[in-house]
Amino acid sequence: MSSTIHKSSSFDSSYDVVVIGAGLGGLGAALNLALSQKSVLLLEQHNLPGGFASSFVRGRFEFEISLHEMCAVGPPEGPLKGPIRYVLHDESSVDVEFVPVPEAYHLILTGEEHKINVKLPFGVENFIDTVCSAVPETPRESLVKYFDLCRECSEALTFVARSKGKIDFKTLMVKYASFLTTSGYSVAEVTNKFRFPRKTLDLLYPYSCYMGLPASRLDFTIWASLLHLYITQGAYIPKGTSHQMCSAIDTRIRELGGQTEYNTKVKKILVEDRKVVGVETDDGEKIKAKYVITNCSPHLVYGKLISPASAVPVEAHKLNNSRRLGVSAFVVYMGLDASPKDLNLESYGYFISPHMDTEKINKSMLQYENMPDLTASICLNNAIPDCSPPGTTILSITTAFGIDVWKNITPETYFATKNKFARQMIEQVSKALDSPISEHIEEIEVATPQTFSRYTGSFKGGVYGYDLDPWDSLVIRSQVKNKEEFFKGLEFAGGFAAMGHGYNSSLLSGRQAARSVLWKMKKEGG
Amino acid sequence: MEVYGRSKDMAQASKMQRERKKRWKNASPVPDVEDPIKELSKGLHLKNFQLIITDIKEVTKTTKTYRLKLAPDSELKRLPLFRAGQYLSVKVNIDGVKVTRPYSISSAPSDVLGDGFYELTIKIKDDGFLSLELFEKWKTGSIISVSGPHGNMYFDDLRDLNEIVGIAGGSGITPFRSIIHEIATQKLDLKLTVLYGSRYEDDIIFAEELSNLAGKLPDKIKVVNICSEPSENWSGPSGFITAELIKKYAGPIEGKTFFICGPQAMYEFLEKEIQSLNIPNRRIRRELYGQPDNITMNPKYLVEFKDKTFNITVRIGNKIETIKASATESVLVSLERAGIVVDSQCRSGECGFCRSLLISGNIFINDEIDGRRAGDKKFGFFHPCSSYPLSDLEIKIPSFKFVKFSPIK
Ligand SMILES: Cc1cc2nc3c(=O)[nH]c(=O)nc-3n(C[C@H](O)[C@H](O)[C@H](O)COP(=O)(O)OP(=O)(O)OC[C@H]3O[C@@H](n4cnc5c(N)ncnc54)[C@H](O)[C@@H]3O)c2cc1C
Ligand code: FES
Repeated sequence: MSSTIHKSSSFDSSYDVVVIGAGLGGLGAALNLALSQKSVLLLEQHNLPGGFASSFVRGRFEFEISLHEMCAVGPPEGPLKGPIRYVLHDESSVDVEFVPVPEAYHLILTGEEHKINVKLPFGVENFIDTVCSAVPETPRESLVKYFDLCRECSEALTFVARSKGKIDFKTLMVKYASFLTTSGYSVAEVTNKFRFPRKTLDLLYPYSCYMGLPASRLDFTIWASLLHLYITQGAYIPKGTSHQMCSAIDTRIRELGGQTEYNTKVKKILVEDRKVVGVETDDGEKIKAKYVITNCSPHLVYGKLISPASAVPVEAHKLNNSRRLGVSAFVVYMGLDASPKDLNLESYGYFISPHMDTEKINKSMLQYENMPDLTASICLNNAIPDCSPPGTTILSITTAFGIDVWKNITPETYFATKNKFARQMIEQVSKALDSPISEHIEEIEVATPQTFSRYTGSFKGGVYGYDLDPWDSLVIRSQVKNKEEFFKGLEFAGGFAAMGHGYNSSLLSGRQAARSVLWKMKKEGG
Repeated sequence: MEVYGRSKDMAQASKMQRERKKRWKNASPVPDVEDPIKELSKGLHLKNFQLIITDIKEVTKTTKTYRLKLAPDSELKRLPLFRAGQYLSVKVNIDGVKVTRPYSISSAPSDVLGDGFYELTIKIKDDGFLSLELFEKWKTGSIISVSGPHGNMYFDDLRDLNEIVGIAGGSGITPFRSIIHEIATQKLDLKLTVLYGSRYEDDIIFAEELSNLAGKLPDKIKVVNICSEPSENWSGPSGFITAELIKKYAGPIEGKTFFICGPQAMYEFLEKEIQSLNIPNRRIRRELYGQPDNITMNPKYLVEFKDKTFNITVRIGNKIETIKASATESVLVSLERAGIVVDSQCRSGECGFCRSLLISGNIFINDEIDGRRAGDKKFGFFHPCSSYPLSDLEIKIPSFKFVKFSPIK
């Protein structure tokens, strides 16, 4: 014990790469760099890894903060196995276990125009069967074609992502022609061509809520890919909450020789001649690195972190200002002292709304008189029965608000506002499911845009990166990436990076940023 | 698949790329750095801010109330708001030993909006390390470093019934004073009955103030003082707070939510009493009591360790230090004694802010409140405030330099 060497600095004087932020993007980046034997330092301002991908404990319950379900995990083996499993298990040996989510979603529409209560299963055929029997006027053939198109777009997107900016158009033309003819359009523009009845669309569109945009604005390609992946591969969640998954990644990074430090905020990204030279922490420690991968948004990086600030070209600010910040979230977490059965909670995930008109839903997220129209609820016990003690239930209800909606809320009105929305959301869900929720609340916590801002420092409390409009789609982002690099050695990872938000995209974007750094290092002969 | 015809479709992607360029070209060059949500957040809780003592009142012989306002050089416009029942974590530096202590805010949230102050009411603990020092050295004009407000023992109309029975002991009256003031100023629409246990009559904190408020709003506020060792002149109830006394003064159990806040000994006694009342879990909220006075009293603690001391190798980033630790002191306390700072707020095992990594060695975890996440248990993380060394340890703690600890002079 006494033979330990006493060093006096927290950090080495330099690293190959410093990663700022241990959200999924930062973790994904640091993991891949550690795996490649590079010296990597991961710095996180909070005392936990994960960012939004975390959990908290109240009484006898541990609540999952943000995850509803993960895309791109897929079954453990076989052709449907997804890239997340490949990256975490095969490539990096991370000790994380995934549990399948039992159904795609349980949709309950309560409005007069289209009252429906239907559970949609995974598997394209099952899904189509269920839609056709719930809405008999559905043109089955068209729906089959629609899913074919989604598959093609999804595969094409993978192909494009692998081509590192130099896209092989010939192959695209031959294999993914419909991807090329739909790329650049919105979901509404493409889907309208199929002439589905309104009621069919109601059953098809719920997942689009995960993208935070109405059908008229959401890029079709990303939507198609998401729908395809979810319905074919199924959805998964990590055992023991996202916090357990992130702790597993953090543990693995350290095993591989990487260094991860918490409660350590980076105040400055130091640049010289448009080149990254290192970072400076909150308490003034300077750490040298030629490469910095940042899990924070370009808004924070160009607006606050780059030092000297005068080094930031005006083009960077303009680019930020031209893009649209995605929504923020509002979540009611409840630990209930009754079993899911006693609470009438038979499904894992519910979408509940008076209607499924995505334009109207989006509009309802831009006001704060009343709760937005749509909620997405998760009953965790229906995927992981023992996630809470016997006879209890964990239920969370989520909705979203436009990024600027909460700006007029003051500390004086804050508590009342949050409880008002929470009450309305609980009422909506109770009524739709005939569930006596409010009689069984043992623990309740409500997270607002302010809460997300507080714990992760995300700009304006945004949780969804930049909006994926057709003019800011994944395909376009991947094509313009090189032209938008304002500083040599600086890469972005996470929800605000090119691949967009969501657990799988964020994690994989971190890996992509790491690969990009590794490739540049190699080119430099480093 | 064709959307608007092949040639138009094939041109669409480039059209969108041009659209993006156009938006970029026409966008404002002014950096977008205003963040109203962050501002809102600052009005609700902060990792660290400085207060100044503007007034001190002796409430009992062993208790003082400190009125605190924003320190003169503070950048804040106003104190963070809170919910009646929450606490501040006070950060002090006594001769190089940097410690934190949780204290409930005894004033009302409306006082933040009004005159802009918090009050902390602090009772000396006979064997306390800090409270005695504070009692003697905190003066009007002293600067106090804090974080918060934190804590979960507040009334929430989504969960709690609006008839509350409060059970308080000793300094545990402080959150109830805050709640009572909120009721008195009609900010909270509640009926509250507090059963407040003290040892002697002259230990009763806020006796007159609370009885006056109750007198003004008899349908809303009731305070019943119970003394365990009263003098002959005492006409009120005496002894400990029992199930019987609760029923007698609070009436039927149904339709009420129970809030409990007091010293550890009170919880131990009350546990049996409360059980006999058959109150469902969701109707009971307990405030934490901080670190136990004596961990060897925990029936699961193995007494054979009681006199042992161990070495703890502490890693902070690349820094390594070895410190001595007693088996009967929490790892957090041993760290603090050695002048090492870890973040801590509740000091009760619940909040998770002291979360650290146990690299090797064995610890005893006070499982009365083990607020660790499942993933932390699996991957070897622990809460130093509620863990005791049972062997030499090697641990890694997160750095914690950005918080000021106000010196006690
Ligand atoms: C949520 C909450 C709210 C509370 N609200 C109030 C309130 O409103 N009013 C109130 O009066 N009380 C309140 N308390 C209780 C209050 O926090 C404790 O009474 C207070 O912490 C006592 O501090 P102390 O230092 O005097 O005693 P202790 O905390 O018991 O101090 C002794 C501890 O310090 C350690 N120690 C001894 N010597 C050293 C050394 N040299 N270096 C480092 N450590 C050493 C000892 O090992 C021991 O663990 C609250 C507690 C909680 C959890
Ligand atoms: S300080 Fe709260 S858990 Fe340790």
